[in-house]
Amino acid sequence: MGKYKKYIFYSLYLAAFIAMVVIAYTSSKYKPDSVAVLFTDFSWLGNWPKWLDLPLMPYLNEGFDKLIREYGMFFEGINNFLLGLYTDMKNFMVGLPWPLLMISVIALAYFASGRNMGTTIMVAFCVFFLGFLSPRYWDKCIMTTCIVVIGMLLCLIIGIPVGIMMARNKKVRNAILPILDLMQTIPSFCYLIPGILLFGLGAVPAIFAIFVYAVPPLIRLTDLGIRLVDTEVVEAAEAFGASKKQKLWGVQLPLALPNIMQGINQCTMMALAMVVIASMIGTRGIGDEVLLGLQQLNVGMATEAGIAIVLLAIIFDRITQSYGEKIQERTNTKKIKL
Amino acid sequence: MKFLKKVFLSIAFIAVTSLGTTSANAACKVHLGDFDWDSANVHTAIVGYILEKGYGCQVEVTKGSTSPIMAAHYDQQLDIITEVWRDNIVQMHEEAVAAGKIIELGINTPSSTQGFYVDKPTADKYGLKSVEDMKKPEIAKLFADPEAPGKGRMTSCISGWTCYTINLVKHKVYGLDEYYTNFDPGSGGALDAAIAGAFKKGKPVFSYYWTPTGLMGKVDLVQLEEPAYDNECWTKMMAVVEKIKADGPDAYTDTCASAYVNMALTKSASTTFANKKSNKKIIDFIRAYSVPTPDVNRSLAFYMDESGGDMEATAKHFLSNSGMWMSWVPADVAAKVKDSL
Repeated sequence: MGKYKKYIFYSLYLAAFIAMVVIAYTSSKYKPDSVAVLFTDFSWLGNWPKWLDLPLMPYLNEGFDKLIREYGMFFEGINNFLLGLYTDMKNFMVGLPWPLLMISVIALAYFASGRNMGTTIMVAFCVFFLGFLSPRYWDKCIMTTCIVVIGMLLCLIIGIPVGIMMARNKKVRNAILPILDLMQTIPSFCYLIPGILLFGLGAVPAIFAIFVYAVPPLIRLTDLGIRLVDTEVVEAAEAFGASKKQKLWGVQLPLALPNIMQGINQCTMMALAMVVIASMIGTRGIGDEVLLGLQQLNVGMATEAGIAIVLLAIIFDRITQSYGEKIQERTNTKKIKL
Repeated sequence: MKFLKKVFLSIAFIAVTSLGTTSANAACKVHLGDFDWDSANVHTAIVGYILEKGYGCQVEVTKGSTSPIMAAHYDQQLDIITEVWRDNIVQMHEEAVAAGKIIELGINTPSSTQGFYVDKPTADKYGLKSVEDMKKPEIAKLFADPEAPGKGRMTSCISGWTCYTINLVKHKVYGLDEYYTNFDPGSGGALDAAIAGAFKKGKPVFSYYWTPTGLMGKVDLVQLEEPAYDNECWTKMMAVVEKIKADGPDAYTDTCASAYVNMALTKSASTTFANKKSNKKIIDFIRAYSVPTPDVNRSLAFYMDESGGDMEATAKHFLSNSGMWMSWVPADVAAKVKDSL
């Protein structure tokens, strides 16, 4: 039986394919008068025949309409929650006097990098230059930051558990990997515009887009990090009678942390890249300065705002990266002590 | 066996090369610029079809959003644009004309409407007829802007287009800015999606919009009355608009405002292309090309509902059902196009 299982699968695929061709043929407006015509008139072999067209588009449209009609309230709920979070955070940060906010960011960099003066000074310069480039940029950078941070939180909450599940179970990994490939390759406008239909214009479709775009590297690196943990170390933990939970929290996660931090870093960078694209769907932030510059063919304006985005990226990158390095150092010294 | 293989390969080679040469050498090459909204797509498809079948030209179409396409057009990379929303990009367009980079080829669609729209169910329920009716807190609440508590949201024009700043000034003059935000949707596609999404959910819509558009035929929007168009007032307002565009929203000064004038959509060609002698007949054709709004709307409706998203089929449908294009081209070209239909 096991020997023939493969063939049963193949014939199932074949049946599904034939069913699709039949559906395409019967539902097409352009089909010939009868099937017999196909065997007497061979002109359809020249160009791709119009009747050989899988009617995927109407199905997708119908499904999407149904999603909006029947689950609209559900998306509304998500929308209101995320939007509330975003607005509160933004209003709080915009309300702070700018020197205070600047000092808090610098302090964050200082402690996250393990009191590394070089990193701190670099971050301080970047933060100052955000407003220094143009006073308009300060509030817009705050908006962008809020969207990126909320998007990242969402990625962390969902991405890391999924990564752990993938590392533990091969079947889960095989199921999720193609989804990650899809998320990374599908053009962003394919989900940005439906995002507007579901959530309306503004910050929430951008957060949604950030999630789709930025979560795959985090999941992949979490999965990889846990799988790369020395099997001997894990076996040693098992030998000491560690439960599955203890093994995860006490051994695998701490040792995988550098990789996970790398994932978080990548996640941030991609989130920032997406925020610029999201300005095309009405998301407020530094990205719309770039867009405005491009729309007015004002190269200087677009480049200036582009520099601000780079500075913002450096700030995010330096803080997460140096925090990751600090953690790595800590775990390394622990190992030596062992 | 080896012999057979050789024979087979050489036959295949001959077949492939003969196939390659059957496509006729085109007499001319035209590179059309197209945009990301549907009325421009219709014009490009019709013009492209006539050029290809009637003039035997090799037509290439590049599609994109306004600024990259216009930049490439000014740079002589794109030969012809069939629908220019001239008033929205008036500054850079006039500069390019003055610098001799492009020449204008007259009007395509003689009138297009722009204005503020509300969805019909809401307009009927609350008796909203003019912009004055919108100035009530309880009405603003219907269109609540989730990102600006206490205010309503009017989805506006795309920032960077002149209409965004015009809407900004109008909001201030009409006193709408107290109740509504002038919300930039970022791109044309996003604006369409915002309107379509609200209709699907049955939510109230308050938006800037324009015709001819395909979406207008599918959703039920009512235009709000504004003070009637007045040339003197408009000129005064545009002066303020230009000032704001240069110096930012703080440059606003008191002005009057009126409804949008019916805007003519124009056509243009790059100077390099227009100056070539062999292209004269094409330029004459483009100059003559003009489709009134109702016909554009009909084509758009056909495109959306019947063609299954096929622009070429839409162009063919227009050409077979309307005779107006016969006057744009010489008789021999018209005959060739007719034969191909």
